[in-house]
Amino acid sequence: MTKKELILQVATVFFSKNGYFETPMSDLSKKTGVAESTIFYHFKSKENLFIAILERVKDDIIKEFEGYMTEKEFDSGLDMVEVAVSFYLYLAGKMENQFLLLHRHYPYKLAEINPVCRAHLESIYDCLVDIFERGVLLGQKDGSIGNMPTRKVALIIFSMVDGISRFKTYNLYDAGALYNQLIESCRRILKNDKSE
Amino acid sequence: MPVITLFSGNYCKKEQITKKLVEKTGYKQIGDDAIVADAGKISGMPENKIKKAFEAKPSVFNNFTHEKERAIAYMRLAVAKMLSRDNLLIDGFAGQLIPKEITHVLRVCLIADMKFRTSVAVNDNGLSEKEAISLIHGLDSAGAAWVNTLFKNNDPWDTSLYDIIIPVDKTEMSETVTIINDNLSSEVIKPTSSSQKSALDFLLAANVEVALANEGHTVGVSARDGSVTLIINKKVLMLGRLEEELKSAAGKVPGVKSVETRVGKGFYQADIYRKYDLELPSKVLLVDDEREFVQTLSERLVMRDVGSAVAYDGESALNMINEDEPEVMILDLKMPGIDGFEVLRKVKQTNPEIEVIILTGHGSDADEKECMRLGAFAYLQKPVDINILSDTLKQANEKMRQNLKEMK
Repeated sequence: MTKKELILQVATVFFSKNGYFETPMSDLSKKTGVAESTIFYHFKSKENLFIAILERVKDDIIKEFEGYMTEKEFDSGLDMVEVAVSFYLYLAGKMENQFLLLHRHYPYKLAEINPVCRAHLESIYDCLVDIFERGVLLGQKDGSIGNMPTRKVALIIFSMVDGISRFKTYNLYDAGALYNQLIESCRRILKNDKSE
Repeated sequence: MPVITLFSGNYCKKEQITKKLVEKTGYKQIGDDAIVADAGKISGMPENKIKKAFEAKPSVFNNFTHEKERAIAYMRLAVAKMLSRDNLLIDGFAGQLIPKEITHVLRVCLIADMKFRTSVAVNDNGLSEKEAISLIHGLDSAGAAWVNTLFKNNDPWDTSLYDIIIPVDKTEMSETVTIINDNLSSEVIKPTSSSQKSALDFLLAANVEVALANEGHTVGVSARDGSVTLIINKKVLMLGRLEEELKSAAGKVPGVKSVETRVGKGFYQADIYRKYDLELPSKVLLVDDEREFVQTLSERLVMRDVGSAVAYDGESALNMINEDEPEVMILDLKMPGIDGFEVLRKVKQTNPEIEVIILTGHGSDADEKECMRLGAFAYLQKPVDINILSDTLKQANEKMRQNLKEMK
């Protein structure tokens, strides 16, 4: 592993578990064995290091989702949304640190003043919402999903699912116990009443 | 025929003046109630909910319901529809909804000093002086809130909002009526094909605004010959998605030929006021009426990690001082309205810790002396070497920090 790669991996864990401000560069230096000056050489500043991590998160999430959703076959649009819901929750578990980073306040604060950060976040959320939206659109074409504002309802489904993943992140409740009901609720929201 | 809008302070004899004006001109008077009623009819919203838009504080739920924005959108539509009629005297808050581009509207403001208004309230309404003063302050702040909602400007008597402002305490009532009536026949106010077109644009924009408000969106809308521009004035990460949705919703409104979206001041602002380098000030206010020069300068400073904000005249500069608390100011001397000397004098009176660098293209030795006497930090001539300016900024910043320490 290159030094740069090592710094990125360690910093991802530190930033997501402890937070951006709570992670001094000296800690990263200790943990990686890479001199602070070398970290700065690679990333110029702590903020740039964070941006590099966010870019990595973006690439990873997009790759995972695109890969999974293009390989899978779907019976209907409704089926595609259900698969997306469960895959989202699966991924939130698998890429725990990356999702934890997205659930922190710091990236959104940084987005207010840093256009690059904003662009990465927009891409991440575009990718995530897009999967639900594509499912809804497909469902509206094949008749499995009712006639409703596509974009808005996709955003609402997304916020429900993302909300459940936060339940898990912060241990608010046994999120697993909500899974079946979540799928059922999505189905009821989206179902085409006129199809039968 | 032209249209009159009348915005008046309370207890400025508006009722009597309006009555006389209607007698003289034969115009039909339309008050806020009529517009609220119209808006209610078009929207199906209850009138009392629409009226709430005039109140200073929206409901705590407004962030989700957007009721206030919907009410305003429908009132704007009601006013826009009304403008197809002639000979109107629109009196009250709703007149402020008409955009400036419609030049056949004569915007009149009636105001008087506190002493006059208090005496009217005491004499005509039998209030005590104390009651009258507190009532007037309350009513004025409602006016200020309304103007702030529409223009992000807290001064309901701001001259830029009107064609004429009449101090009714210093003007006879009959004269007030004559002034307004005379102005109606002025060439500037005559309806022209372009002002009529603006009225149609206003109607189209109002229809789009209503359509979007019903979808829960609040954006600035303007129209020109069927081309609609939407201004997004809030922070939204998924901007691309929002733009698409807005375009699609607005595109469905009959008469809309094209839709363009833009981000406004409320959107994420790039790097303004960012602290990078403690040596350089992070908040520099640039005041100059030469827009191109000041924008270029601002960009060059940003490249050097100096956060800068820009004001194009003395008045806005003074307002920004209170709101944005700059650390250093770069100030031109010659500007319309309040000039650089006056700004310098006021700043040094109210915020002596702010260091002011004068940057002028046409200053004399006497000007320089005067500025230094008034407390300027440095006096530079245009064109200025960016390195010299940067060094001066550093020094001014150091001085400013010392000032702050001494104040503590």
